[in-house]
Amino acid sequence: MLNYIWAGLIVAALAFAIVSDLRDGASDRFRNHAALPIALEYPEGYREEARRVPVHIRIDAETYQSFYGVDAAPDSVYAGHVLRTQAGARLFFAERAALPDPLLRIRDFSGGDALEGTLGPENAADALVATSVRFDPVRFPHLQDITRAAFDFADTAVEIAIGLVGVLALFLGLLKIAEAGGLIRQMARLVEPLLRPLFPGVPKGHPAFAMIVLNLSANVLGLGNAATPLGIKAMEELQTLNPVKDTATNPMVMLLAMNTASVQLVPPALLVAVIGLQVNELIFPIIAVTGASLAVATGTAWLLERAPLWKRSDPNARPAEPTASGEDAP
Amino acid sequence: MTWFRYFIDYFSILVLPLMIVGLPVYGLIRGVKVYEEFVEGAKEGFRVAVMIIPYLVAILFAIGMFRASGAMDFLVETLEPLLGIVGFPPEMLPMAIIRPLTGSGSAAVVADMVAAFGADSILVKMAGVMFGSTETTFYIIAVYFGAVNVKKTRHAVPAGLTADIFAMIFAVYLVQWLFGGA
Repeated sequence: MLNYIWAGLIVAALAFAIVSDLRDGASDRFRNHAALPIALEYPEGYREEARRVPVHIRIDAETYQSFYGVDAAPDSVYAGHVLRTQAGARLFFAERAALPDPLLRIRDFSGGDALEGTLGPENAADALVATSVRFDPVRFPHLQDITRAAFDFADTAVEIAIGLVGVLALFLGLLKIAEAGGLIRQMARLVEPLLRPLFPGVPKGHPAFAMIVLNLSANVLGLGNAATPLGIKAMEELQTLNPVKDTATNPMVMLLAMNTASVQLVPPALLVAVIGLQVNELIFPIIAVTGASLAVATGTAWLLERAPLWKRSDPNARPAEPTASGEDAP
Repeated sequence: MTWFRYFIDYFSILVLPLMIVGLPVYGLIRGVKVYEEFVEGAKEGFRVAVMIIPYLVAILFAIGMFRASGAMDFLVETLEPLLGIVGFPPEMLPMAIIRPLTGSGSAAVVADMVAAFGADSILVKMAGVMFGSTETTFYIIAVYFGAVNVKKTRHAVPAGLTADIFAMIFAVYLVQWLFGGA
């Protein structure tokens, strides 16, 4: 299932990127190779021989709108500079200037902080020099976006995982003390009657029960930092009971389903940060929805583990894994 | 509801310090060599985090590409007329789609909605309840199953997503019912 969703996300991303790019191309959204009429003002005077001169760039709003066929209007004046080389004159907008669409997109595509283009012939008759600018062509920007996103998110994933090292070490260390002191076993025995119906595959008195309860309690209290290490530890305990190490067992899926339903009495900090005190009104509906979705999650997991497809793939239902020494079997 | 909120708030503030101090103290009383045991357990932290990396990279880059491709807008466009029929506000669709995929992404969607409709609006309330009552299913799968090297997730995705879809729909109707029409 995850195989198909995963591949589907990637293929859909490519397909949508190509469709959007073809649509942009057909409508010539970026006016590749066309020159946008502008006017330049040289505050330090117009000097043909100067290599780099500061300019004020003026773009007429109506010209701009009809040129690109958009509603967005440019500011009345932009700071920038002209760079003259043997290859010709290049116009640079100031770095991180507040540009209208689609100029912003053109700058993003180029990957630089400053929008730049080739300057057309200048008519230096008076203080305001009439000229035009041709930006470098934008080709397949969405394709570039998805490629960039793939690289960025690969980095993000590593950052997140490495960011977990500290809390993981802290909690795994604390839990080890609790285990050595016998607390985990006592807790497991205490909560077992409650969890037994949901996790029938876990033997009596197994420490997994204690870890599951700790994980779920941390979730309920909104302690995201603690919930993840505790959930991982619970998974590790369940993994010790798993005969086929690369396949999830029924209790593992049950625990996961309970976590995705995210029972919590404390609203998540991220939500409070975004919508502020409004959150207080939402506590009751959040608890109600989260409680109901927990019931749905456990119910669905319970039902699905009985469905033929997943019953067949149950690690505990399979005959013992053929081992390397099982070669001599008929 | 307020006293309940206070109680839970204080309790959740107290529980972590109690755990962090309480467990070593408990260990000492039970005669555990606390420092040695702690270090032994903490060693695992790095190994587990590194173990998660391939799973997280796989999930996050696919989701990142999907978001960057503009597919979301297209989905919203196509599904909008269908949603009108069942009375599900089409403005909620981006939130419903993105919530199981990414936590920070869905927080950004809520922030956009606050800017567009005002923090008081019923749509933002729906988004808030959706955010608070569901989790980033795919992230959880990557982290929890990744930590134990489980690749074949069996019915985890359908079970998680069923609960998510149910929560989204229930959130919309419950908020509508509680905070009136609009």
